[in-house]
Amino acid sequence: MIFTIFKKELKDTLRDRRTLIAMIVIPILVFPLILGISTSISASFADKQQNEVFSIALLTDDPDNQFVQELLSIPDSLGPKEVEFYTFEEDAEALILSDSVQIAIAIPSSFDAEQLALKSSEVTVYYKETNMGARQRAKLYGEIIEQVMQNQRYSALELDPSTLTPFSLNFTNLSSDKEMLGKYVGGFIPYLFIIFGFIGCLYPAIDLFTGEKERKTLETLLTAPIARWKILVGKMMVIVLSGIAAASFAMIGLFLSLEVFDFIENPKILEAVNSILTAKFIALLFILLLPLTIFFAGIMIPVTIHAKSFKEAQSILTPVNFLIILPAMVGFIPGIELNFSTALIPIVNIVLASKELVADTLRVDLLLLTFFVMVAFAAFSVLISYKRFGRESNIVS
Amino acid sequence: MIEVKSLTKVFELTKKQRKENNSTEKEAIAVQDVSFNCQPGRVFSLLGPNGAGKTTTLRMIATILTPTTGSIVVNGYDTLKEPENARKSMGFLTGSTGLYERLTPNEIVAYFGELYGVSKSDFEERKEHLFTLLDMHDFQNKRIGRLSTGMRQKVSIARTMIHDPQVVIFDEPTSGLDVITAENIIKLIDNCRTQGKTVIFSSHIMSEVDLLCDDLAIIHKGEILFNDTMESFRKQMQAPNLTAEFIRIVQQPTNIELI
Repeated sequence: MIFTIFKKELKDTLRDRRTLIAMIVIPILVFPLILGISTSISASFADKQQNEVFSIALLTDDPDNQFVQELLSIPDSLGPKEVEFYTFEEDAEALILSDSVQIAIAIPSSFDAEQLALKSSEVTVYYKETNMGARQRAKLYGEIIEQVMQNQRYSALELDPSTLTPFSLNFTNLSSDKEMLGKYVGGFIPYLFIIFGFIGCLYPAIDLFTGEKERKTLETLLTAPIARWKILVGKMMVIVLSGIAAASFAMIGLFLSLEVFDFIENPKILEAVNSILTAKFIALLFILLLPLTIFFAGIMIPVTIHAKSFKEAQSILTPVNFLIILPAMVGFIPGIELNFSTALIPIVNIVLASKELVADTLRVDLLLLTFFVMVAFAAFSVLISYKRFGRESNIVS
Repeated sequence: MIEVKSLTKVFELTKKQRKENNSTEKEAIAVQDVSFNCQPGRVFSLLGPNGAGKTTTLRMIATILTPTTGSIVVNGYDTLKEPENARKSMGFLTGSTGLYERLTPNEIVAYFGELYGVSKSDFEERKEHLFTLLDMHDFQNKRIGRLSTGMRQKVSIARTMIHDPQVVIFDEPTSGLDVITAENIIKLIDNCRTQGKTVIFSSHIMSEVDLLCDDLAIIHKGEILFNDTMESFRKQMQAPNLTAEFIRIVQQPTNIELI
């Protein structure tokens, strides 16, 4: 009987365009869209940087000074540039604010003399931080010129550069790429899984309970010779399946982004991501996701049973969505880790466990604790749903 | 056979409901000490104005609501002790029954056939009979959302009768339907009587009652004011016609002998 209910509800749900969009279309497109848009934006930015002529105002009373000469000799392979000369007294701020140039460099007229005297000159760069890439380009030019002139000084003084370098500090990172990904972006996967798991459950939950009340089909169903708990379980199975399906389609979208659309070009990151997306990782993620989705269904059903209209159910569940998002964001906060305390907090424990799973540092005892805590919360929420579904005031209007 | 004994239903009122009703009462009595019997091969009508307690009584018989006190026996099964067996022998149809918009008539009838445990061979035979009787073959594979009200009502009838129930409950079955669609229901009720089924239907339309019913109970403010055969009702009439007599009884309940 439960299977009969499940079969019918699944068929009904799969014919609902709204549910299909929330369960399949959005989750499968979200990763390709996010990664595609961010990749194309950063590619177009890099392209712009490479090809756009960078205009520089040189404020100096001596246009032949060494700084200018070195600047002009930097090849255009770093990006084309054009230079305009102004007197040292020119108003640099006005030039920048009028957007006629991207940076203005003020070089004192005493520059060459100071260099001859092996003194340090003060060169000022004017720019707008909102002008993306301007500061970086100026810094790059400055470093190149500084390096050239430093080498010239070493030669003039007949010095070996190493004599002025007492030691060099080498950092050797022993964290694997997998661990690094887990630490810095590991919170992202459970976050998306939780959000899509919730959204995937939302529409079927409203449709299968409030919708059935609104369409006046519930009364007929309740006169069929089947126990109410079986109706509840059959419907709940569809809701849980929808949540898991939405999360799975998000995963497929991620896989497509990486393997088919090649949005990530860095082979090291790609290799690390591929090493994470193993059958074991996916299986463990689903083991954690199952009680979480049952928990979601369990907290949605009492609301959808109580609500008299689709709108009412939606208006109550939208704030609940935010309550779910907040603990799901814990994964982005550095320093919070899975331990015997955080493993007791629903949703937070799933996020942190998934993060550890990405980094391949998840302890078995904490995994089991997280799982059983989630199962307990899921069972409790199902019990509340059962009680609510049995209430006469909730099932007949 | 339906046996209703001393049936009472009390609803607890929420704060919101109390405010809406402008009342301080924490409870509302919807049905009070109602008793009647419905016999096989006869049509029993529960007649009463809006809010009289008709739907609540029928919902209790259909096991959707649980009585506060009293008992109901349907086809030999106590609805409180054996609700699933009682439901198996019942068909329930209301004028406001909805159908699953995204399913087809074939799918809906098959779904309820499965829920009622109808065997495959019986299902095919009954489906063919009902679909032919109701002329449903042309639209059996169209989604409900695309069907007219009349077509939907036919699907509801097929859904109600697919398990060949011995007891059929109709709660204001013609409410909101046009004359032609309502005619399908009238025919169905008549067929049920011919087939020896127990039929109970609620209505506030006297002409329908006059046309169909063998036994009659008039309910008002949750209490039964009259309970006898239609023939006896006609004999006791003091007003010039059935509608006027119904109004007279409801407005002056103390003048009528309670049976």
